This record gives sequence, structure tokens and C-alpha cells, in this order.
Amino acid sequence: MIQATGASLAYLDQGREFFACQGIDIEVKTNEFLGILGPSGSGKSSLLYLLSGLKTPTSGTILYNGTNLNELSDDDRSRLRLREFGFVFQQPYLLGYLTALENVLVATPWDPSPDTAMDLLEKLGLGHKSHRHPHELSGGERQRVCVARALRGSPKVIFADEPTAALDHKNGFGVVKLLNQLRGDGSLVMVTHDPSMLEEADRIVKLADGSLDNT
Amino acid sequence: MKSLSDTDVVPSVPAESKRTKRILRPLAPSTYLLRNLGKTIPLTTVIMLAVMLVAGIIALIDSIPYSIRTVYSYAKEHVGIAPRGDPNLLPGIVKDVKKHSPVPLERVIICHISGAVVKSIVGKWPFLALGLNQADMRYYAERQHTKSVTGRYPAKGQPEILISRQVARNLGYSIGSVVLKPDDIDNYSPIPVKVVGIAESDRWFMIDSIEFQLANYFPPIDDAMFFAKTPEDQRKLDDWAVKHFKGQRPMVFAYQEIEKNSKEMFQTLYQILNVVIGVLAIVITFMMGMLMNIYQSQRLVEFGLLQAVGYTKRQILNRVLLESFSVIVIGWLMGLVATFALLNIADRVLMQPKAFALDKLDSLAYSYTIPIPFCILIVATTTVILRFRKFDPVSIVERRLV
Repeated sequence: MIQATGASLAYLDQGREFFACQGIDIEVKTNEFLGILGPSGSGKSSLLYLLSGLKTPTSGTILYNGTNLNELSDDDRSRLRLREFGFVFQQPYLLGYLTALENVLVATPWDPSPDTAMDLLEKLGLGHKSHRHPHELSGGERQRVCVARALRGSPKVIFADEPTAALDHKNGFGVVKLLNQLRGDGSLVMVTHDPSMLEEADRIVKLADGSLDNT
Repeated sequence: MKSLSDTDVVPSVPAESKRTKRILRPLAPSTYLLRNLGKTIPLTTVIMLAVMLVAGIIALIDSIPYSIRTVYSYAKEHVGIAPRGDPNLLPGIVKDVKKHSPVPLERVIICHISGAVVKSIVGKWPFLALGLNQADMRYYAERQHTKSVTGRYPAKGQPEILISRQVARNLGYSIGSVVLKPDDIDNYSPIPVKVVGIAESDRWFMIDSIEFQLANYFPPIDDAMFFAKTPEDQRKLDDWAVKHFKGQRPMVFAYQEIEKNSKEMFQTLYQILNVVIGVLAIVITFMMGMLMNIYQSQRLVEFGLLQAVGYTKRQILNRVLLESFSVIVIGWLMGLVATFALLNIADRVLMQPKAFALDKLDSLAYSYTIPIPFCILIVATTTVILRFRKFDPVSIVERRLV
């Protein structure tokens, strides 16, 4: 489904080249839960951005179903993300002036019908809070709304970047469990530094200093 | 999709209700604007006040030439020709006009004139008391839109005067007031002249007895007034008289000349005003452009999130611009309405009691505000485009720019 070959991401820091990721070969298979584990600063998030098209590699290729993401325009990569991918970020980013339900609807501008979004919120235990604004929700509830948004439109791949970072362990574990249970046929790629969050992962790869740790 | 089992961490809570609260399109500009009134209202208010300021200044300045046109609008009904100090020329002038007039004449009135003043927002303006015979008084009043007369017309040879309602309001006179008197340099008469009638008309005029003027004013100022049958004919007659007597001794008083002179008189003032308003518009534009920039900067997380989940830069930019456009247009329209309301209040409180003229629908004043929304939109668009050019959503989701 997603194939990274020799993918590197380099930054220039005060004139010096710094590699966030270097020469990474990795495949995300259909319907799998892939965990990417590594300590802080190991390049996990950068790899996630490369795989999801949020960043383009400075060298190497990222193929999604045979399409080289590097060759797509910025707008085409955006459209691909909207149609095919779902995202959960470290922080439960929601639009403060929208209700939980409306935040979920944002993921599918082509489908404004609230019924399926309500179903998702109900499955996530937030049906009774669907009309609340983010400031009326707890951190865990906000992250669950983000999960609902990521699941909305049945994406082919869900990318979760340390989705439990802002939550306590219990709530964090609950969010991962929900993501895994509700993802349907979609793949789940989750980045974390906490191995306990990847209990349900089908496969785990480790990352250290921007490279895959094959030890 | 799998559903949660009983052992799931988050219990399935029945929905509070599928409330029928109206769901706006989440990313429609109206949704953001209506739900962030704390930000939207100040912006629209500033634009509204800017529009009000510009239109208000122009309308008040424009009220001066408008007042001139209003006060002297009695001249629309006739063309006056004065022999300029030689009363012996008058019969020849009348004969000349009757012979060569391009349009049929309805009436020719020979009158005498004494000077008076009326008040304006910029001081005193010269005005005329027309000395007419009894028949001409009634004809003249009728031509000047008089619907009725409160009191009566001045009696032959008596120190009495009929003034129009506008003049009465302007000078604060009522029946019995002394209008012309020996100790008033601006409204002089050797014998006090009292108001005996007020003509209910939208025009400004004063008429007294020609016999009284002949007996008390020396030398009398003679004037011939030529009335055409229709307003169109009157304009033709006025134009003809101005051209016909150009370079000759008789002096022509035509409404077109008053209009032309007032335009010329205020040309320099309007040029200065253009510069002032231009500077004001630039200041307002930059201020608003910066405000819009700050307004949008506060939403970088939102834009970063939307771009990260898959909205294109163009979609986000279009939305931002549509929101800006809505705020600017609403502010501008509110400004126009507020200006109209302000001018109405100013007219009612300050102008009408003294019969001063103020055009509440002054197209010039409103047209001066048109560049404001365009300038603000251009500055706002430019700053937003520049900001979006190198915008990286990852910097937002990684919290580097939050």
C-alpha cells in the first residue's frame, strides 16, 4: 500500500545538513496496524510525515498504491490526504468554534450528512456530547473527537502521531484501542515512544537516530 | 467498521438526543463569522466607522453648495435681468427679450429689490426681498410652490412682508416679527417691516409691496423677471439670456449660473478634500490590513490543521478571503446605513430647525467610501497570500508555531 525506499529527510540547521530520517525502507501493508517505536528525537514523526505526504523526502521515494508522492503537486498530495488518509496528532487539535460533531464533519467536505458522524461519536462514547464545543470537553474526550474525525470517511490509512502524548496512560490506551477497533479495513500507522501502546500492533519497527533499528 | 464491545474502555453512552440544533456548514465563512462575533464585530465596526467618517465629512462639506442651490432655488422659476444702475434701460431689455426669446413667455414681472440676509452653516448669505404688485405677488408665490398662506399678503404701500416657511424657520420669524428695520445693517429698511404672512412652500423667498419699496428705497434697484411656461423652456430661456446679454450692460441672474458658480467656488475645496480623504483612506486601509493580518494570524493552528488533514492551500486561502470579503462588505454596508442614520439625526437636530440643507442621500458622499472596501480587501488579500506562500502545516501540528 505504502512503500518507502531509501527515504531521507534532511534539514539545514545553521548551514549544516541534519537528517531527521535517513535511507529508510519500509512498507505499510493493507489492513495492518504498524507501530513505529522510538525515543524522542529518533525521527518517528518525520517518518510519519513522509509516509503521509505531509513532507516530501529530500531523497528516496514514497509510493502510495504505485503513485510516487514526490511527483504529486502540493495540492494533489493535500487531496490525497483528505480522501485516503486520516490523522490523529499529538495534541487534540480541534476547531474551537465548532461542535464535536461539526469537527468530525470537517474531514469529509463532500459528505455533510451528520448521521454517520454521529454514529462514530456514539461508538466513541461521545454521542451525548456531540453538540459540545472543544472547551467543554476533557483532554481525553477531545482526542476521541480527533479519532472520530480521523475515522470519518473510512480512510485507507490512519496516521497517528503520538496520539497518547497529551493523555494519561489509561485514556491513552483507550484511544489506541478505539482507533484499532474502529479502523475497519484501513491500515493504522502509529508512532509512539511507549511500547505498551503498541500491544495490539500487527508489526512494530524501531527507529533510532533517524534510521531503522534492525538490531 | 467494528463496533465497541461491552469490555471497551469507553462505555457506549446513549446519545443525549439527536438534537435538531441547526448544523451550519462547518467551514462556511458564515459559520466562523457568526460564532466569533467577539472578533467579527470589532472589525466590521472599525470599517463601519471609517465609512461613516468619510461619508459624514463629505456630506457635511457638500451641504454648503447644496444649501446654496436650495436657498437660491427660487431662481429656477425665472431669469432675472437687471439694468445695472440705469432704470431707463429696462423697457428696452423687456422688449428685446420678448422679441428674441427662444421660448414662449408666460409672464414678465417688473420688480424692485431690497437686500436682506439669511443664515447658513458658514455664516450669513445675501438674500432679496422682492417688491411686487398685488397680482404679481400671488403669481410669484404660486410659481414658488406655495400651497397656502398663513396670514395674508402684504398690503399695497405698507411696511409688510410675506416670507416663505423656510425663511421663517431659518431666521426664527413668525407673524408679527420685524424682518427689516432701520438699525439692522444687513436687513435695512427706513421703516420697520413686519411679517404679515408665511407662505407654505419648500422654496426660500421674501416679498413685499413694490409701492412700499419705491417710496422708501433710493435709488430703487430695478429688475425684470421673465417666466417661461415649463421648466424645460425656462432652462432654454436662461441659457439664451446668458448668451444674449454676454458682454452687455444688463446683468443676468439665472439658476444655471448659480449652480456653475457654486461648483467653481468649491472646486479648490474639493481638491483639498480629495487629498485629505485619500490620506485618510490610506491610513484606514493599512490599519485594517494589519488588523486583518492579526485576525488571520490568530488562526494559524486552524489553517495548519486543515492543511494537514488535506485541505489545499487554495481552498484555505479562498475561505479566508471570502471571510475577509464578507467582513469588509458587511462593514461597508453597515457604514452606509450608519451614515444615513447619522445624517438623518444631524439633519433633524442641527439642520432642519434652521432650515439648513443637508442631502441625506448625497451620492457624492457615499461614492467617496467605495475605495475603502477595495483598498482594505487588496491589503488583506496581499498580506494573507504572503503569509500562506511558505506556510508549513507540519510546523503547526508539531507545535513549532503555536
